[in-house]
Amino acid sequence: MSAPAVVVRGLACTYAGASRPAVRDVDCELPPGALAVVMGATGAGKSTLARCLTRIVPCFLPGEVTGEIELLGVPARDRAVGELAGTIGMVFQDFEAQLFSTDVTQEVVFGLEHTSVPPAEMPERVARALAAVGLAGFEGRDPTTLSGGEKQRLAIAGLLALRPPIMVLDEPTTDLDPAGRGEVLQVLARLRAEGLTLVVIEHDTATAAVADIVLFLRDGEVVARDAPERLLGDVDACLTAGVRPPDVTRLFAALGLPDPPLGIEAAAERLRSAGLVPRPPAFHEPVPRARGALLEVRGLCHRYPDGRDALFDVSLSIGEGEFVALVGRNGSGKTTLAKHLNGLLAPTAGSVRLRGREVAFLPLEQLAQRVGYVFQDPDHQLFAATVGEEVAFGPRNLGLSRAEVDERVAEALAAVDLHERAADPFLLDKGARQRLAVASILALRPDVLVLDEPTTGLDHLEQQRMLELLTRLHAAGRTIVIVTHTPWVIAAHTRRVVLLADGRLRYDGPLRPFFANEELLAAAAFRAPDITRLGRALGCTPLTVDEFLAWTPRRS
Amino acid sequence: MPLTLYVPARTVLHRLHPVTKIGLLGAFVVAAFVVDRPLVLVPLGGAIAGLLVLAHAGANVRRLRAMFVLVFVFTLVVWTWFFTGFFRPSYAGFLYGLSTAIRLDAFLAAGLLFLSITRVEEVAYALGRLGVPYAVGFTLTLAFRLVPAFFDAAASVVQAQRCRGLELASGSVVTRLRRYVPIIVPVLIGALRRADRMAMALELRGFNSGRPRTTYLRARAGRADAVAGTLAMATVLVYLALWASGAGRLAGRP
Repeated sequence: MSAPAVVVRGLACTYAGASRPAVRDVDCELPPGALAVVMGATGAGKSTLARCLTRIVPCFLPGEVTGEIELLGVPARDRAVGELAGTIGMVFQDFEAQLFSTDVTQEVVFGLEHTSVPPAEMPERVARALAAVGLAGFEGRDPTTLSGGEKQRLAIAGLLALRPPIMVLDEPTTDLDPAGRGEVLQVLARLRAEGLTLVVIEHDTATAAVADIVLFLRDGEVVARDAPERLLGDVDACLTAGVRPPDVTRLFAALGLPDPPLGIEAAAERLRSAGLVPRPPAFHEPVPRARGALLEVRGLCHRYPDGRDALFDVSLSIGEGEFVALVGRNGSGKTTLAKHLNGLLAPTAGSVRLRGREVAFLPLEQLAQRVGYVFQDPDHQLFAATVGEEVAFGPRNLGLSRAEVDERVAEALAAVDLHERAADPFLLDKGARQRLAVASILALRPDVLVLDEPTTGLDHLEQQRMLELLTRLHAAGRTIVIVTHTPWVIAAHTRRVVLLADGRLRYDGPLRPFFANEELLAAAAFRAPDITRLGRALGCTPLTVDEFLAWTPRRS
Repeated sequence: MPLTLYVPARTVLHRLHPVTKIGLLGAFVVAAFVVDRPLVLVPLGGAIAGLLVLAHAGANVRRLRAMFVLVFVFTLVVWTWFFTGFFRPSYAGFLYGLSTAIRLDAFLAAGLLFLSITRVEEVAYALGRLGVPYAVGFTLTLAFRLVPAFFDAAASVVQAQRCRGLELASGSVVTRLRRYVPIIVPVLIGALRRADRMAMALELRGFNSGRPRTTYLRARAGRADAVAGTLAMATVLVYLALWASGAGRLAGRP
């Protein structure tokens, strides 16, 4: 039995200027080749733990770190981040910030040049690192021309070339589309097979399901540490740690079945043998007929100034009061289409009409009041010193009176459940910043709300809050269009899916046929929610756990 | 849209030693700087144009053609009308304007040629070979990487604020400047955050590992470098001679 790869004893870390520790009393030991997945809500200390392991705290971010960390049997104390480069690597969520060269080879070579690797050894190391992440053949490419998944894999290759036996990945797939996510997870599996010790921070339980050990963090402490089937099979443990429990776990708990399995097939088998097979009612899905078209897209084509065609002949109509999900791989034209809905982009051919009027010709202040657009990254729009000022910005641009501005700010903040008008937007956590961004658009009282990936990067609780907010707004009569990559968000909240593939409209209709069609799902690099896949294995297409339960006859 | 001008081709010019490339750029700039007779400048401009073709940089020239034309026309018109006095067109002014226009375009073209055949990493490497500290060369590389990201972020921020009714193009200068606050703040904060994360990523890859640095780029000067170097040297000498003899200079320059 070889020495453990990672040993953490009594680790505590308090950032400079913070009143309470970001992590404390952390003990853990990982054998070489283990895959550990760390989960928990935002602010639970997951990233801090990763930064302590790589010595980013205190070398980079000032803070007080106490306790012991040993990597491969050697204390990490007193080592600089750079000195550990061949021992432990770390990948961030923001893949753009990890690339700094103009071609792929140079990117991988960077670490080698800085750790005294002889030049003669470099070509082989580069070739191996690129092969390990599936980027062989990309040697001369400019990293800026790669897709998100490719960029993240390149960042991993840059570290792999240094041959670190331990690798820490802090939400490596959060900013990727399902296709890119799949690519990175595949790379992880390969690294694991090669015997690397992996510490992965993740929100998604599907990744955690294959781990050797799962750690739940809460308020800086490890609240649970166990095999994945134990932790992920326990609804309460998940919820306490702010982790979204897997669909199967919730279903089994509601049906009173013990030991939920993590695999869909195994779960289907258990339900069959327990006689708990859902029988959907012979219902006709009421096609939500719109009250009249609000937005009419006709033959829309868009070509970017660099000559790239992003949309081909897209036609669709969105009725008042609809809740539409716009899906597709990155680069399929989703965001391009969404940006036409409020005139941020003008059609190359075709038209986009709002209540019969061409959107491209509407004056800006009128458009802002009709179609609100919330960008994916709230930090692209927050600038004011206080929350109240931030929300007041839009209404003031419209030239409204002071009393009117005040009323709208109060209304918008109440809608998104933010109450401290004097708070500094930059000190809010990600979820609150996202809701503030929505409030700043709501204050313009638009009829249509377009949101680009409103739940990306949020933890389970924050996602839940965001979706409740959207559901409330929808119930109050707003038309909502969201661009999203998250299957359960679509299944539980929207009524209609619009799928784009390579700039063309591939599907436009209700959810159930979409999630029942493998070909369509593949075109979007999508997977149906677990509960839907489980239902499919049993011959029906439920969209939510509640629906599955309602269809399942139970012995009383 | 790529913001760098590097043309990924493997022409003779691309394969030159980075120091030779800097030498070529320097030679063209010096040559165009010392003379100002249009006729003397024409062969120089022709040579640069020929090299641009050789470097497969036609697309770059097309991309920047508006700049070439604008610089040329503006310079020519201004010198023609203002050389001898306010709004007094003169033939001497026209000649001087013509030479300045050719020279400015030659500077532009030489720079374009250099950027078309040189990777940023090569520039850093060449500067290192010329004795410039590594930190300077590396900062240059990073800047090339950060500038496009900066523009991307700025474009998103402008769109996001437009959605909130921000109109940039109206009002007095002061109100316009104030309108830029909602754009500048998010862009700057975003850039700072990104720079911070990038610094972490650099260290994680061994920057500051305390070990001596090695280099992957291993440019060896070959026959092509000897030829290019000799030609560059000859060009500079010829143009210096033209300048010294007065044959390269316009008469009547104030």
